[in-house]
Amino acid sequence: MSFLIAQSLINGIILGTLYLMMAIGFTLVFGVMRVVNFAHGEFYMIGAFMALIGVTWLGLPYAVTLALTVGLAVLLGALTERLVFRPFRSDELSGMIASLGLAMILQNGALLFFGPDPQAFPSMVSGVFRWGALIVPKSRALTLGVGVVILIGFYFLLMHTRFGRGLRALVQDQQVATLYGVRLELMYPLGLGLGVALAAVAGGLMAPLFGVSPFIGATPLLKAFIVVILGGLGSIPGAALAAILLGLIESFVSSFISASAADIVTFALVVGVLLLRPSGILGRGEA
Amino acid sequence: MMDIATSKPQSTGHANGIAFAVAVIALASIPWFTGSVFHFHIAIMICLGAMAAAGLGTIAWVGQLSLAHGAFVGIGAYTCVLMVMRLGVPFVVGLPLAALVTGAIAYVIGTPLLRLRGVYFVLITFALNELFRLVMLEFPSVSGGSSGIAAIPKISLFGLVLRDQQSVYVFALAMLALVMALLWSIRRGPLGRRFAAVEENLELAEASGIPTARTQNTAFVIGSAIAGFTGAIMAHYIGFISPESFGFQLSVSYVIILVTGGRLALAGPLVGAIFLTPLPEFLRSAQEYQHIIYGVVLIVVLRFLPEGLAGLPKRLAGKGREQS
Repeated sequence: MSFLIAQSLINGIILGTLYLMMAIGFTLVFGVMRVVNFAHGEFYMIGAFMALIGVTWLGLPYAVTLALTVGLAVLLGALTERLVFRPFRSDELSGMIASLGLAMILQNGALLFFGPDPQAFPSMVSGVFRWGALIVPKSRALTLGVGVVILIGFYFLLMHTRFGRGLRALVQDQQVATLYGVRLELMYPLGLGLGVALAAVAGGLMAPLFGVSPFIGATPLLKAFIVVILGGLGSIPGAALAAILLGLIESFVSSFISASAADIVTFALVVGVLLLRPSGILGRGEA
Repeated sequence: MMDIATSKPQSTGHANGIAFAVAVIALASIPWFTGSVFHFHIAIMICLGAMAAAGLGTIAWVGQLSLAHGAFVGIGAYTCVLMVMRLGVPFVVGLPLAALVTGAIAYVIGTPLLRLRGVYFVLITFALNELFRLVMLEFPSVSGGSSGIAAIPKISLFGLVLRDQQSVYVFALAMLALVMALLWSIRRGPLGRRFAAVEENLELAEASGIPTARTQNTAFVIGSAIAGFTGAIMAHYIGFISPESFGFQLSVSYVIILVTGGRLALAGPLVGAIFLTPLPEFLRSAQEYQHIIYGVVLIVVLRFLPEGLAGLPKRLAGKGREQS
């Protein structure tokens, strides 16, 4: 029993890390640009394919591939901002609908290019860590470790760089931030680029665990939604709390009851939170 | 947030209205000239798409965008199919009951839900659509679970079974006309004016004594009931339903039809469905590109025609002219 609890705890933390990476990018883009990006899950999927191409087609080391994924994703995000989101800057709803169109284009583009079948991703490390009865596959530990490193790096970027301060200022008050010299022309493309990069690298990290197909973006998108609803749109501490909570709830409910029960519990939670606190657990109370 | 499009949902004048009616009648009669079963099928799908999107448009009239519309189509479909197949209720009774049940469910969840606005409302409706799918999968004794319900009997009206596409088309056209007539009369009446006031400026409407929450819920109930009505017809025409038939993709496709046609124009859903439903068929050699094309059309229309295709004649006639 204690074994099952420890195992659930570790799986929950891995899931929580994934959800956090997805949710932070998503909520950051919303906070900065006021765009609810329905294509966020497709960027996760594209990241997974980028990693697949890097590792299996080009034979690059996994670390190099992940770094390239981040770089390309920033470019892709900046380009997307320019082509898709820029015209809808003052119009939240149109931007969101445009992102629905973008998601269709990306998913079906991938479908056209890679076909519908799931593709296996080579295992990056083999073997397991053992502590008594507790067994953790090294591949999971690697995903978790790299994920945590990336999240720490992101935190540093956000808290201790000029760029990060600019982003935070935009989340707080766009008008005031602009008056203080934050340049939207720069921050919007880079902000979206950063969000896309977080999603893409999450895709690259999870690919060895879950495989790759054009349809893998839907679940992480849904989880990112749930996390930001629970945590409050635009709130990063809220997202952190909600992501870990969601990962743990899912992991424990699926181990002790069933996977579909986990889904229903999380949705009940979402509906409950939204109805009691429409702006989320730590939201800004603006709904 | 509220200014989906700053234009008012007004008619584009009588001349345009007549031209539009003539165009619709001409388009509606195409299948009779070609006689192709396939064209009849497309025409039926246009009618059904336009109906469901018109329901979504009713919700958009009060400034809300629902991503659970596919689920409401599903609720209507399941309601009617279960009543007809399990309880032996005739279709002509099941159909209005499906709309009523869907509307009642929309009323119950709409009351707390519509306190949320803008993107929060969109997000929770997205979650609701997913929840509907999960619940349907979870109760296979009712819904048939993931394998769905097959061999749904054909539409039958007082003993007259609509076996071929031609007769279903006539029925679908009549039902579409019914829905459009209902929405037209709502739009011209006091309720429609309240809808427009809420869409245009929620705070102002609230301040002038319009019960905005109740008005939005009324629109939500009407729009969802229309979705349920459409779902019932769709289920009996296609003959098969499963939880996957009413997923996020279906909800998105109604958003695309509505936005492409025009979010606030009465004719918007119709124009959108006429334009988008046959599109993949004209591009048959490039069917894999269908969804990519939909996505591109959506973004381009949003960008260059914020009032949708239905706003095109007005645009061409001169943008600056004020119409009332």
